[in-house]
Amino acid sequence: MSCLEFRRAVTIDPRRLDPQARTHAETCVACREFLARSLAFEDRLASALKIPLPPGLSERMARAATVSPGSRRWFALAASLILAVALAAFLAWPRNDPLALAGIDFVVFEESQAIADAKPADAAVLQRVARGMGVALPAQLGEVRYVGTCPFAGTTAYHVLVKSPLGKVTLLLIPDRPLASRVAASARGLEAAVVPALGGSVAIIGGTARGIVRAETLLKTG
Amino acid sequence: MRMLLERRQAVFGSTVQGHIDDLYRYAYWLCRNRWRAEDLVQETLTRAWRGWADLREARVVKSWLFTILYHEFARDAARPQAEPGAPEELQEPYVNDDPALALDLGRALEGIGEESRHALLLQVLGGFSCAEIAGVLGSTEGAVMTRLSRARQALRRALEPSDFGKEAKDA
Repeated sequence: MSCLEFRRAVTIDPRRLDPQARTHAETCVACREFLARSLAFEDRLASALKIPLPPGLSERMARAATVSPGSRRWFALAASLILAVALAAFLAWPRNDPLALAGIDFVVFEESQAIADAKPADAAVLQRVARGMGVALPAQLGEVRYVGTCPFAGTTAYHVLVKSPLGKVTLLLIPDRPLASRVAASARGLEAAVVPALGGSVAIIGGTARGIVRAETLLKTG
Repeated sequence: MRMLLERRQAVFGSTVQGHIDDLYRYAYWLCRNRWRAEDLVQETLTRAWRGWADLREARVVKSWLFTILYHEFARDAARPQAEPGAPEELQEPYVNDDPALALDLGRALEGIGEESRHALLLQVLGGFSCAEIAGVLGSTEGAVMTRLSRARQALRRALEPSDFGKEAKDA
């Protein structure tokens, strides 16, 4: 093998030299040095080409490759459907408003004590307050069994207990608590709605949604 | 049925995993963009999985994967690309011990022509012989040898000009 042939072989593949080339390198000093420089360059080249890899690349890619696009589409569709159903359920699910829920808690835990402790209010005062709030208290509401004042939601409310044709209904007239829109809650076997009035708001708590709606309608006749 | 599929997936994963790093580096030096390189490798593996049942010889898996990637790159390059200068088309430098060498190497690889670049990368990164490279590129062994020789000389001229000049004089 000539030096020219050897050098050509080295520039083609310095790491895979045939026995003839190796023998030539053993006998030719200049070619041996050429080979050494070529191998050093090869090391630099290989090292520079070995760029850092993204973490977890091979595991991630091997796994993803075996999930067919069809399956991926199916999973994506299923995930979208589940998300849509969950969103619809979340939006449709009746959520308890804290103020309305406080009305229910008042009836369950505090009402009887409030009636026992409070000094009954004057019915005439109640009518005046109701008028000031733009709320009617028509006779069709039912038989008013109790009128008093009580602390509620950080302020004072006028507490009215009515025996309506649809069962007992508690009204809490809250002059100092304005409200932007109707809120509701359902808990402990009771229904509650707090409705905005011209001045303040009124909480209506009862055993049935029908009873609440009826009372709400009558209150708005004022 | 499900167990069979899982077994096939496991065999595929364990067989290809050892080649993914080299495939990624090969793809990166072809396109000089990490995201495109990942896409190319992912597409390569997806195609390999589709053709897995037809593969008869496990010993050719490596050259088979590189062949798929080579064709995938050619397909990708033929597609309309984003406007020149768009951020996703910018070549990214990477962090390594010798950033200056990396930049020079990138430039030098650009200058040696596509077929020579493929041949050199397949040899240095994939460890393929000239005959195997010819198989991947659909070329002849002689043509690959010529490309490799030219590629190395061009790279040494670009990256080690003083050494290369001295050798040229000696020769």
